[in-house]
Amino acid sequence: MKICVPPPSATLPRRALLAAGASLAGTLAMPGLLRAQTRELVVGGAASHKPWMDATVIPFFERKYNCRITYEGTRSLVNLEKMQTNRSRPYLSVVQMDDPVMILAARENLLERLTPERVPNLNALKPGTIHMDGMWANYLQPWQGIAYNTRALPNGIASWAELWEPRFKGRVVLPSLQNTEGLANLFVAASLETGKPPAEAQADADAGFRKLRALKPNLLTIYTQMPQAFNLLEQGEAWAIAGALSSFALERKAQGAPIALAAPQEGIYASPSGICAVRGGPNQELAMAYVNEMLGAELQAKLAGPTFSLPTNTGLPVPADMPQVPVHSIDWANVAAQRNAWVQRWDREMAL
Amino acid sequence: MTKRVDLFALSALPAVLYLLVIYAVPLLMLLTRSVTGAEGLTLAPYTAFLSDAFNWQIIANTLRVAGLVTLTCLVIGYPVAFALSWARGLAQAVLLLSIILPLSVGVVVKAFAWQIVLKRDGVVTAALMATGLFEEPPRLLFTETGLVLGAANVFLPFMILPIYSVAKLVDPRLTEAGATLGATPWKRFARITWPLTLPGVISGIAFTFSLSVSMYVIPSLLIGDRFQTLATLTGRSFLLMRNEALGSATAVLLLALAVAVVVGSTWFARRLGRAA
Repeated sequence: MKICVPPPSATLPRRALLAAGASLAGTLAMPGLLRAQTRELVVGGAASHKPWMDATVIPFFERKYNCRITYEGTRSLVNLEKMQTNRSRPYLSVVQMDDPVMILAARENLLERLTPERVPNLNALKPGTIHMDGMWANYLQPWQGIAYNTRALPNGIASWAELWEPRFKGRVVLPSLQNTEGLANLFVAASLETGKPPAEAQADADAGFRKLRALKPNLLTIYTQMPQAFNLLEQGEAWAIAGALSSFALERKAQGAPIALAAPQEGIYASPSGICAVRGGPNQELAMAYVNEMLGAELQAKLAGPTFSLPTNTGLPVPADMPQVPVHSIDWANVAAQRNAWVQRWDREMAL
Repeated sequence: MTKRVDLFALSALPAVLYLLVIYAVPLLMLLTRSVTGAEGLTLAPYTAFLSDAFNWQIIANTLRVAGLVTLTCLVIGYPVAFALSWARGLAQAVLLLSIILPLSVGVVVKAFAWQIVLKRDGVVTAALMATGLFEEPPRLLFTETGLVLGAANVFLPFMILPIYSVAKLVDPRLTEAGATLGATPWKRFARITWPLTLPGVISGIAFTFSLSVSMYVIPSLLIGDRFQTLATLTGRSFLLMRNEALGSATAVLLLALAVAVVVGSTWFARRLGRAA
């Protein structure tokens, strides 16, 4: 048997080769290690969420995962536009937006499915908060009522129907149907017009439009920018904003603005805040970890108070200061199917 | 001489390239998108848009507001431009600064400021009530009047500065000569000053009209969602309705209308100038 002994001269190059290989591997691995140290997650969301994102979510997550989060605050539809435009090379990893816009994103195949294996906290969510077989989930549930100026209306507002009273002439502000929070008013109006329960009245948009047309003399404006509307309310130019979100209105109240949020006797509307991972987005594992944290009890406990919202994690109790009136849900699938037609109709029927 | 001309032409090349890439190419893409359907070339987005009576109302809104803003700017800006050209020293510096400085303030900030000025207990309403002509405070905010006032404030420098650049070149001896020949102040203005300043007026109208016909943020903040213009509809078509064909068609229509009105008014003003 012939034993092949490498020539002495060959030993050194092999060692050198191994050393060089190890060095090369280390070099090649280094950028990865560096990247691991400076991992970045770009999260899209609502501009109005920036204060609590900066104060609570970002420091919490950055500290826990040794990464950096860049938050891009804008409108949900702009986030959708960003996802669509950058479909081939997404730069957003996670997006927090409203359910009706999530439906559009899911239909355009822009979302990465969330699974309990990658997002264990999905198992801890309330029923009805995971949508389209895990395309997105709700991390909080703010509610919608009527924000009002406490100087102009010291006795508050007891019913949605009061907005139609002549004393409100030119003092009511509504969100546009372009804004997600604008849709509740259509269903409130349909319910008032028909006398049907809110869930049933959602199918009768005609009645809703009919009733909303009757509100035109009382309208000051219809907004697309929420801060502008609250500016009007706080200055006393507007007396009421119908369909105002608790996450914005109660935060302004807590900051000392002369406003309050009424929970009318007919009930309030839940306006779920959704979170999704972007299909093919950078740092997928980190993105899933972020989604998981947002659905977890620890972070939701920190957020429910400052955002004046209901947590969706079953491990947390309903806040004690939640209004004791019925909470209605909106059929977002119906909204997604009808919204364009409704917006066109809204433009025509609510025009000056 | 030829070489110098060529060098001059070459010096414009960076600007031409920049405009081609930043402006002409996207514009061409927009135009292409507006005439492209699922089955190739089509004019369907235009016919669909123009066959709806409500959309003609949107076009009328756009042109009416732009026209009123331009007119307001001209009425206010023309005498200011002359005051600026007549002023000397510190007075001229202060005037120029007061016209140019507001350009550094963002449109959103200005629009919010107008919201405060126009509200029911704001200074404009207080002044109107002081005239005794109104029984109750008139509503200006979220009305067309409020929009025109606010937009005119934002675009006024674009009317004043072109007129000023021409007005300062007008020889005051010409009107003096007219006066010595017995021309009334109105006749001196109509026959001497106005024709001489017409190039500046035309430029001012072109600037102001182009800006106001396509304004998007100002109507959004000062009149809200109840008053549609071509610009707001274009934004909404892309962002909300996800209807690129409609958005491209309305954008092209907006551009065509703006160009037509600017070119038309220029031609008309020049004819008037020649006639004068």
